Amino acid sequence: MLSTDSVDAYYGLFQALFGLSFSVSPGETVALIGSNGAGKSTLLKTIVGAVGVRRDGVRLDGEDVGGDSEPRQLARGVALVPEGRRLFGSLTVLENLQLAARNGRSGPWTIPRLMQEFPVMKEFQHRPSTALSGGQQQLVAISRALVCNPSYLLCDEISLGLSPLAVNEVYRLLSRARSEGLAVVLVEQNVTRALAESDRFYCIQKGRVALSGKSAEADHAKVAQAYFGM
Amino acid sequence: MSDFSTMIPEAPKVLRITLVLPVVTMAVCALLIALPWYSSFATQRLLVEGFTVFAIAMAWNLLAGYGGLVVVGHQMFVGVGAYALFASSNWLGLNPWLCLPIAALVSALFSLISSVPMFRLSGAHFAVGTWVLAEMLHILTLNTTWLGAGAGMPLDALGGFDRWTRNAGVYWAALAAGLGALAIARTILRGRLGLALMSVRDDEPAALASGVSVRIAKLSLWVISGTLTGLAGAVSYMNTLQVTPDATFSLNWTAIAIFTSVLGGIGTLEGPLVGTLLYFLLREVFADYGAWYLIGLGMLAIATMVVAPGGAWSLITRRWPIDLFRVRRDMPKL
Amino acid sequence: MQIAIETLVGGLMLGALYALFGLGLSLSLGVMRMINIAHGDLIVLGAYLCSVIMQLLGVGPFLSLILVVPLMFVIGMLLQSLLLNRVVGGGTLSPLLLTFGLSIVLQNVLQETFSADTRSLQAGDLALRGFHLGGVSIGLLPLLSTVVSVVIFAGTNWLINGSHLGRQARAVADDPATARLVGVDDRNFFALITGFILAVIAIAAVLYGIRTPFAPSSGPERLLYSFEAVVLGGLGNIWGTFIGGVIIGVAQLFGAKVSSGLGPFFGHLVFLATLLARPDGLFRRTQR
Repeated sequence: MLSTDSVDAYYGLFQALFGLSFSVSPGETVALIGSNGAGKSTLLKTIVGAVGVRRDGVRLDGEDVGGDSEPRQLARGVALVPEGRRLFGSLTVLENLQLAARNGRSGPWTIPRLMQEFPVMKEFQHRPSTALSGGQQQLVAISRALVCNPSYLLCDEISLGLSPLAVNEVYRLLSRARSEGLAVVLVEQNVTRALAESDRFYCIQKGRVALSGKSAEADHAKVAQAYFGM
Repeated sequence: MSDFSTMIPEAPKVLRITLVLPVVTMAVCALLIALPWYSSFATQRLLVEGFTVFAIAMAWNLLAGYGGLVVVGHQMFVGVGAYALFASSNWLGLNPWLCLPIAALVSALFSLISSVPMFRLSGAHFAVGTWVLAEMLHILTLNTTWLGAGAGMPLDALGGFDRWTRNAGVYWAALAAGLGALAIARTILRGRLGLALMSVRDDEPAALASGVSVRIAKLSLWVISGTLTGLAGAVSYMNTLQVTPDATFSLNWTAIAIFTSVLGGIGTLEGPLVGTLLYFLLREVFADYGAWYLIGLGMLAIATMVVAPGGAWSLITRRWPIDLFRVRRDMPKL
Repeated sequence: MQIAIETLVGGLMLGALYALFGLGLSLSLGVMRMINIAHGDLIVLGAYLCSVIMQLLGVGPFLSLILVVPLMFVIGMLLQSLLLNRVVGGGTLSPLLLTFGLSIVLQNVLQETFSADTRSLQAGDLALRGFHLGGVSIGLLPLLSTVVSVVIFAGTNWLINGSHLGRQARAVADDPATARLVGVDDRNFFALITGFILAVIAIAAVLYGIRTPFAPSSGPERLLYSFEAVVLGGLGNIWGTFIGGVIIGVAQLFGAKVSSGLGPFFGHLVFLATLLARPDGLFRRTQR
């Protein structure tokens, strides 16, 4: 299980998270919803090692892993698909995947398999990765994380700026991965989509958990209240 | 919203030495001005070196610490100022002290003209670009016979003064340069230019968006800094009586400016003061050790960048929040 | 006319050596976004190391490389891990000032150890041999330097484009934060790069030391030429650095023909003039 225990996080002097506790079990999909600046991305960055935190702030499978660097967390099986996709423009689609695969763990997700599942990626593999459409880039970005064979995949706003068709494609890939036991943490602006695709949810507001529960039983009125802090 | 006041940290209490400072300052100034009457020539020459190095270091510090313009070719201003003084005094047959304003003017013009190519560059490119320009001037002067080429020029007119007058005159010029540097720096930083520069230093895009004319701010700083350095350089070479290309356009000038600013603390007014004192202290103590002194200085600079990038002054202010020259601006309490 | 061609050819070959000086700087500026003011002094250090090994073991300069290249590689890794990694990513000021201090230390340590006298690496009459091609006289050593430089550039280019190491380098140059997310450990990686840079410097140092007498104070000039080659060619473009070096070499030799003391001056002039016209250099960052 991946969890945070009452964790605080700072950007310099600015405190972004206030005693936030959250958990995700193997095979589970958890949604993080909340308005802009609530702290959802910060939570993901804290888990993956991009933002410093105290040692026992983040626990993975019983071990204290808080504050370790991103490559260390990747080796432990925690991968982040960053907001805005952030593919390497100097590398082709294939090279983006090769780079990640070489640094990641071995497992069922391989480059040939991804090429097979997404012929469009195979077609574009030698193009500079930023010369693709938004939806295609998002597929590559998720594949880049998948190819490291993580146990926990953290996804930051993967439907942002995508057409509805592209969003469906992206979630199709995600459900394929989930069906093989991958645990996913979804940060999603689209609340309906987030609740539909997850088992549990947390609503974050001003760096604190305002509401949490099972997605299927979510009361939309309560969620709206928690979301907007009313 | 009630949350705001807890988000902004309380501004540290700054020790304001209000009444004591002006009295002390005037006493110190009086002592310094009267110096030629109660000290030796050797002391005066050392102080001339000290004041001019301080002025040059302060000028460099203003550029790097406040303007974000790191210059590795600072020696170009020294050379231009020194040669302007010597050339104008020698060719016009004028009293060298009267030629100091000419040296200042030439330095200012040079700063203005050189800003055109230099400001097209930024960051590390700018830093080394200034060095390239300095090297070009160095090579040009080396190859220009009417400036004395490699052997340089003496300052003819100085021969007409007796030793006491000459030394005192150079000393007072240096004192003016040093105090002037301090006064200019303080005036800039307490005024609009300083506010503009600090806003650019903190966040350039935000400064631009707020209407700060970044270009004019940086250009003003460049010209002021260049003029100050040229003037200080001219006075410094009045002390040594001879200009040569190798000496005036030497990278050592930048090295001294960098060391004193780094050791003392970049981006503060007190820094170059502390740094210059440290520099000369170390030099007097370790004079016999030759190159080992320079090695030690270099390692000190490295250690400072690693351990205390804010220099010695930052170590002092960590303990006691002192603002000697009252240039820090506090956040208003809400 | 023949003099013009000879000067051109000579300039091309000198430029190839300058390009080799600049390759390391191109990598550190491009991947680590850091300028190393001590770069030129490290070249001089390499030359002195060769000189020492040559004297100790009684071998020629090229044989001494067998020891000097690995030695410089290790020095590079240590330099990065212990010192430079502390200031990477901290803006322009910190690396510049730290490496400036390093430059002073290196120059003075070399001066204390070896005195301020110039020396060169003895390679028999290699420095004097040459041949004629179509009426143009070509020195053997400059030709060798050019070939070595082209080979190293081609090799580095292949590494950058075709290897895992190269992919990591390009990724870090694009986006260091995201590179960490895909497992690039930049601390170790940077150490590897600086090790590689110093190994290349070692080879360039030998070619330089045979050709030109050097002294502890020769460093800064080497840095300036390296820097001009890199910036002229355009950051992030390996072959750009090569072209940049060649341009500086040609400018210097033609300048020296005009007036013997003004060679480097013309190099500087061409550099500044080109930079004013194209502030980002002649070539853009290579995109595949």
